[in-house]
Amino acid sequence: MNQEHFIIIGNGVAGIEAAMTIRSRLSVEDAKITVISKESDFFFSRTALMYAYMNTMQREDLEPYERHVYTQQHITLLRDTVTDIDAHNHTITLETSAPLTYTKLLIATGAHPRHVPFEGIEQATDGVVNFVSMQDLDHCERLTPSTSHAVVVGGGLIGIELVECLMYHGVKVTFLVRESSYWPQALSHEEGSRIADLIRSHHVNLLLEEELQQIHTDQQGRVSAITTNKNQKIDTQMLGICVGVTSNTSWLKSATTPPDIQRALCVDKFFQTSLPDVFGAGDCVQIDLGMEQPLIETIWYSAKRHGQIAALNMLGDQVAYAPPTFFNSSKFFDVEYTTAGQVVNTPAHTKSLWRTHPSQPYLTQRIVFDPTQKDQVIGFNMLGSRWNHRILTQWIEQRRPLSYVRKRLHQAQFDVEFGRAKLKAMQEEILNHD
Amino acid sequence: MIKQGTLNRLKHDITHRGPSAWALFILLLAFYFLLYFPDKFEEGARVFGASKSTIASMKSLGNDLNIFEHFMRWLGPALGFELKKWWDPVFNKWTLYGTIYTLAITIGGALVIRRYKHNPYQIVRTSVVMLVQIIFGFSLPILLGANGYKDYYFSYFWPLKIEYLYPENLANMPIFLVLYGIIGAMLVVPILGAFFGKRWYCSWVCGCGGLANTFGEPWRQLSNKSSAAWRMEKFTIHSMIIIAFLTTGLVIANYLVGDHSPALQKSALIIKFLYGVFGVALLSGAVGVAFYPIKGTRVWCRYFCPMAGILGLVQKFGRYRITVKKDMCISCGMCSKYCEMGIDVRAYAQKNQSFTRASCVGCGICAEVCPRGVLKLENKVDPDPQELSMNAFLSESYKQEPHRRAV
Repeated sequence: MNQEHFIIIGNGVAGIEAAMTIRSRLSVEDAKITVISKESDFFFSRTALMYAYMNTMQREDLEPYERHVYTQQHITLLRDTVTDIDAHNHTITLETSAPLTYTKLLIATGAHPRHVPFEGIEQATDGVVNFVSMQDLDHCERLTPSTSHAVVVGGGLIGIELVECLMYHGVKVTFLVRESSYWPQALSHEEGSRIADLIRSHHVNLLLEEELQQIHTDQQGRVSAITTNKNQKIDTQMLGICVGVTSNTSWLKSATTPPDIQRALCVDKFFQTSLPDVFGAGDCVQIDLGMEQPLIETIWYSAKRHGQIAALNMLGDQVAYAPPTFFNSSKFFDVEYTTAGQVVNTPAHTKSLWRTHPSQPYLTQRIVFDPTQKDQVIGFNMLGSRWNHRILTQWIEQRRPLSYVRKRLHQAQFDVEFGRAKLKAMQEEILNHD
Repeated sequence: MIKQGTLNRLKHDITHRGPSAWALFILLLAFYFLLYFPDKFEEGARVFGASKSTIASMKSLGNDLNIFEHFMRWLGPALGFELKKWWDPVFNKWTLYGTIYTLAITIGGALVIRRYKHNPYQIVRTSVVMLVQIIFGFSLPILLGANGYKDYYFSYFWPLKIEYLYPENLANMPIFLVLYGIIGAMLVVPILGAFFGKRWYCSWVCGCGGLANTFGEPWRQLSNKSSAAWRMEKFTIHSMIIIAFLTTGLVIANYLVGDHSPALQKSALIIKFLYGVFGVALLSGAVGVAFYPIKGTRVWCRYFCPMAGILGLVQKFGRYRITVKKDMCISCGMCSKYCEMGIDVRAYAQKNQSFTRASCVGCGICAEVCPRGVLKLENKVDPDPQELSMNAFLSESYKQEPHRRAV
């Protein structure tokens, strides 16, 4: 009997997608699939942590698959920590169980919150939280009842989610954002300023262009206050640090056969690491696509894609990764956001068609186009209504000119019935990017 | 994590199967028992051919338990409405029930509209369901009753109101009501279902759905999402369709040829009685509403309602569907959690699969709670609003760069 053994380290979306893809091709007789996680017994949706925190969901609701699916699909789930990889002998060592031998191995260990050595963080033994794992949620929930004021650092998506959760529990929140508007990695200054207004309208003390300087602790080691770089001291019992993530790869460096690691685990466009039969996928990898910079993608959608394509390569298909036109979506409090293509840091000669509503400040559309390329549209940033990103990305891929897109914008609307945003009411202006 | 504070904890308890939820369950069960069952004792004894003394004792037991009827007979005079005048028929327990029911829909509906004030679909749908209840589910039947007619609910059709196609009832109705009931049940309901899905009825018009989507809103998340529940649903709902057809058929057959066959007469009486007790009183009343705090709001609609069952079959072949925006789902599960019909919407959304499920009543809450706007209710045949053109294939190799990262 020639049963292959596919071992997947990490039960996040990349790992589970890979496991499901492999199983859809190989029967139980042909392949044994083992998924190892140290974080949780079952795959859960990390993106829904905030809903568990806000009691709109219970913990068990976060699991995307019914538990019997894994039994049905013959996917073995193992709660353990992998301590070593020996690529010569095709074995991995585990903390508590016996070593395992693999035919193909996938490393999908994800990422962890980026550590910033803020002054005083070493002394703070309690009260500093992140918001990306189940353990973080436990930690937040333990601290919330004894917190009347919290400070959240970092102007990205996880930051605003944590702010929203804390507000729900009646905690006063100060939100520290280093930049001059909210989330400049995705929003223009004007868009970011509008979202900043929105955040303030929810009674969040949003401080722009202000950074965390020092953390103060009480005698028990719990955070008691912070000082900002503008020398403002803010009393707080909880400090949320949401300043991005870095790959979970440090444990690989001491392996018997360490794979190549730079900022993240290095893989080629086939998700192959430098080790034979060892693959990598998800937030823990940097992909060499032959461009100047290796590609690091750390969103849900990319991890899902990585898992699927890495699995195909583990099965022996040579499927090169070609990331599709960028898209993402989000929700800031009750304002929805859809983006496609390039919308920030575009070349200086590009312009934006900026559409605003006379009475709804959070309903905007920005269409980025390139006047030097026959007004070809290269990106969309849509706030306050729903859009079908599929059509938006299709227009970008078709290199449609602004006039074409502008006339057909309604085709891409995805609002609820009776609730279509009234595009005719929008006021337009052309913005320069230089 | 539950919000701090006694009130918040109580709110959680009653909406998450805590002790207070069970207490409410028992209270509602008792209410429905006292409302429906007193009338059934005597009828049951008669149908099953009990002795005269048993019938008499059952009658008196039913009468003793009929406290809501007694209350209303007391209430009329107490309010200065002398009985035996034109308003006399209004002072019965069904007026009391109708008043409570309509109040529950009106107050619950107002709260739902406040909660989803940013969502026009929810505002329109909830307003319609409230108006239908106030006009057709409450005011009109009372007006008819007060004017000496038999009450008629224009918002209900066979087989939900199974007796609306019983020939002995049709025989006593004005011709336009006979036509309304038959054309409504046989033509209008399924045709509209084919074009708009069962939602036009189940979450826009129906009083059962109306109560679930207004008063019942806080419990919608308790529906069972497991595939085992889905299997059970398919079994029970299809059984109920068959039972409703059999019951109606038997009653009609009895009306036509019953005089020649005492056996048919007897079995028609029994099945009519059993359907009244189990189908109407127990399942649509007691189980349908009392189970709100325990099993969610649509237990009757999902597992038992024969009308929803038939409409579901129509819906499977009709235009209605939930469109899933490709690749945008983050598997958070809010859609599944808040689906009152227990549909695992996330299972479809994360697979990028637009779908039509027979049980979906089109309440639109999955689309409302989705944080990424992935879902959309539609009455369309074509799966994509825009055809993929040749240009798109040709420019497939064209890729945007540099790639942006998001935290």
